[in-house]
Amino acid sequence: MADYTKYTKQEMQAYAIAKNIKENQIVIVGTGLPLIGASLAKRVVCPSCHPIVESGLMDCDPVEVPRSVGDNRFMAHCAVQWPNVRFVGFEANEWLHDEDRLIAFIGGAQIDPYGNVNSTCIFGKGDYLQPATRFTGSGGANGIATYCNTIIMMQHQKRRFMDKVDYITSCGWMDGPGGREKAGLPGNRGPQMVVTDLGIMKFDENTKRMYLAYYYPFSTPEMVQENTGFEVDVSRAQLFEGPSPEIIKIIREEIDPGQAFIKVPKE
Amino acid sequence: MNKVFSLHDAVAKFVEDGDVLAIGGFTTNRKPYATVSEMLRQGKKDFIVYAGPGGGEVDMLIGEGRVAAYINCYTANSGYTNVSRRFRAAIEKGELTYEDYSQDVLMLMLHAASLGLPFLPVRLMQGSGLMKFWGISEEKRKAMPKLEDLKCAEIENPMVPGQKVVAVPVPRIDTAIIHVQQASPDGTCIICGDEFHDIDIAVAARKTIVTCEEIVSDEFIRRDPTKTRIFGECVQAVVKAPYGAWPSQCYDYYDDDDAGLKEYDKASKYQDAEDAKQQLAKAAAKAEKAAAAKPEDGKLAEAAQRAKKAAEDAASGVKIPETFKDYVDKWVYSCPDQEALLDKIGGSRLMRLKNEPHLGYSTTH
Repeated sequence: MADYTKYTKQEMQAYAIAKNIKENQIVIVGTGLPLIGASLAKRVVCPSCHPIVESGLMDCDPVEVPRSVGDNRFMAHCAVQWPNVRFVGFEANEWLHDEDRLIAFIGGAQIDPYGNVNSTCIFGKGDYLQPATRFTGSGGANGIATYCNTIIMMQHQKRRFMDKVDYITSCGWMDGPGGREKAGLPGNRGPQMVVTDLGIMKFDENTKRMYLAYYYPFSTPEMVQENTGFEVDVSRAQLFEGPSPEIIKIIREEIDPGQAFIKVPKE
Repeated sequence: MNKVFSLHDAVAKFVEDGDVLAIGGFTTNRKPYATVSEMLRQGKKDFIVYAGPGGGEVDMLIGEGRVAAYINCYTANSGYTNVSRRFRAAIEKGELTYEDYSQDVLMLMLHAASLGLPFLPVRLMQGSGLMKFWGISEEKRKAMPKLEDLKCAEIENPMVPGQKVVAVPVPRIDTAIIHVQQASPDGTCIICGDEFHDIDIAVAARKTIVTCEEIVSDEFIRRDPTKTRIFGECVQAVVKAPYGAWPSQCYDYYDDDDAGLKEYDKASKYQDAEDAKQQLAKAAAKAEKAAAAKPEDGKLAEAAQRAKKAAEDAASGVKIPETFKDYVDKWVYSCPDQEALLDKIGGSRLMRLKNEPHLGYSTTH
């Protein structure tokens, strides 16, 4: 018999994602963990949500886990196949109409205390023109971080959580209160939380700095501070309960049986 | 007018060195690999490339040194290669001239081109590195007549005093290459599934080459005009190229080729045999250092042994892993045309990629 009482860090992250999706929300997902989390939300935790992807496929309900946002697996099981520019227009109009229905998941390689994210390159000894490590580039993340509230997915490592990122691909709260307005960005949108493999960070209402809101059954506030490259307030941290065996069973048997994004350790 | 060409003749006639090239499709979906492969075979070069969200197709052009400037927003065979490897290596070596835009802005720029707009104001990229860092300086741009002088400029919205917006250029596309499901000899196209930016670039480009799974008659294609997506007068060449998007997907027809994309992922780690030898030697030195630091760790010692063997085998020529050069020799240069490519892939493998109609993808890809 398979054991569903034990779960991996990634399964915990996917569950945390699903739990943070609200009724009727329009959820911008990419591939990977956010998609597993959103699929879990759609099937069990919050079936009224509407997953959409930046290629322009709206209200997606894929049968098999897609590998890219333009995958046939999204395309064959969605409500509308829009070109990308319509998606961009939709996300901008949601803000223009003062609709607060969108929540988006983005990821990155580096993040600072204000939720500014780098997914372009790490300079190392070089610079933007010849960096030590180059990534894909923005994709849809910059536009999403401009117009939508976001949940940022990160691996919790000291070298990723740093005071200053090399390159801001997706703007967070910039340098604190009023920072987004000053840059010409909508001030009433921005990062809501950072979901990592060690816990969930939120942003202080007054300072806009990251603080630890939740740790997991297998992590502690001390572990979070140790793996964060800047001072993080852990005084408000609470325990986030882990997923039930039923949830883990659904992830492994229904949502990602091929283990495309969540690897299950061998028993 | 009959616009049907062979792949060879279409590329020979309509793709010129130095063209501003726009490529349709989305990372691993409906990417016009057949046309890109023919461009490689004919030695076409010096392109300014807009690929929208790019994948292996643009990575091959970069790896083969055919790109004068790459206007990037995202480059990966998503789900197979997190960051396209020749793209990444070229940037890390300082060998690629490139510019970064967000995907939103790049796609809007291509859309603006289809609308014939003089420039485009957006409220995107503000506050980010996308505005702060320029891959191609104004000075360098001025020496490139096919590229606009500025990457972007913050301006005041004349309609809303005080509001800052970002002006971005509208590309002047010479040649668009797209792959579609059906086209007729007069150039009319049916695109099944998401159009991506393909219609935009077909309208905007001076020359558009369409490869298609099937050519149907001019009468047949207009039996249901709700399905036709591109006006034939926007198209210069129609080429029959079954599986012309291989190894990427083609909605209603086939899925991506799992084995093909995995092969490219592995092979593209190394530019050529020399690069493989160097990288494997570096990896062996690193593994040895790691093992020496923790002599009690048996796993590290084993890994160091394996890395050493791989480096030695490569250095002596006993076993050099497949490289990018090997891949393009095997799947591009040694196939004179699309038919030869299909023969090489093989009938049963191609059949396994066919979409299952009830699912819209293949469960055996």
